[in-house]
Amino acid sequence: MTAEMEQKFNQNRRLLLKAGVSSVTLALAVSSGLLLPRKVIAHWPKEAFSAQTVEMALSALLGKTEPIYTGKEVQFKTALPPSYAVNGASVPVEIQSDLEQIERVIILVEKNPVPLIMSAELMEDVVMPFKTMIKIAEDSNVIAIVCADGKLYSTTRFVEVDIGGCG
Amino acid sequence: MGTSVSSKDRIRAKLKEGRTVVRVLLAHPMHTGRVKDALEELIPIEFIQDIRCWRNEIEVLSMKCGTGIARNPYFSFQLAAGVSGDAIRITWVDNKGAKGAAETVVK
Repeated sequence: MTAEMEQKFNQNRRLLLKAGVSSVTLALAVSSGLLLPRKVIAHWPKEAFSAQTVEMALSALLGKTEPIYTGKEVQFKTALPPSYAVNGASVPVEIQSDLEQIERVIILVEKNPVPLIMSAELMEDVVMPFKTMIKIAEDSNVIAIVCADGKLYSTTRFVEVDIGGCG
Repeated sequence: MGTSVSSKDRIRAKLKEGRTVVRVLLAHPMHTGRVKDALEELIPIEFIQDIRCWRNEIEVLSMKCGTGIARNPYFSFQLAAGVSGDAIRITWVDNKGAKGAAETVVK
């Protein structure tokens, strides 16, 4: 702790004491996470999950349309998703990446009525691979986007389905 | 816990090559609101919106989901490092306010 931080801490402590906040209340506040400098978890992004196109979903989710790099940084595992799925109601997807400090993982299915499948915010402890099971309504591109160090990386795989999985 | 069905949720965590592998299986129908039942009536939309995961009281993951996650949501991911005895906990909430939770200890 630097001298400056310590001074600030002491100031804060004094303010709290002045305000008559008991140590019990403070302990409760700390344990409930109110005072922890943790990443703010946003509410469920209704607009992004209402969007009917990939572009609209991404701009609603990320606030702006940023350049997305398509390279080897992010990849689907072989056959996850498969290029042909009999039942679109449950298709496995596994995302692999060697990027460090991944902040977010997004999965989209271009032709689904709701293209945005999920968006996960990751703290620094989480590492790939990330696997889940998704629904695919009809033959469609499946897109995975990873956000690391403020940059977006994506990979795409076309999946044919026999029985659509969205009703 | 409301209309929780947490007893059917499953979570497993094990150490593998210096990492903690977490696997989660939740019991939920994930209705899209576009499927009709046997009486030709639409089954109301019902899906998990929010899944959060903690390791020893530190939040590591926050997932926002739509109806596109398959029925009985499954997901797995890895956490850097980890030791035997770590507590891994998840909670979920669906669009109707139903909640669930599951916890495990790394072996």
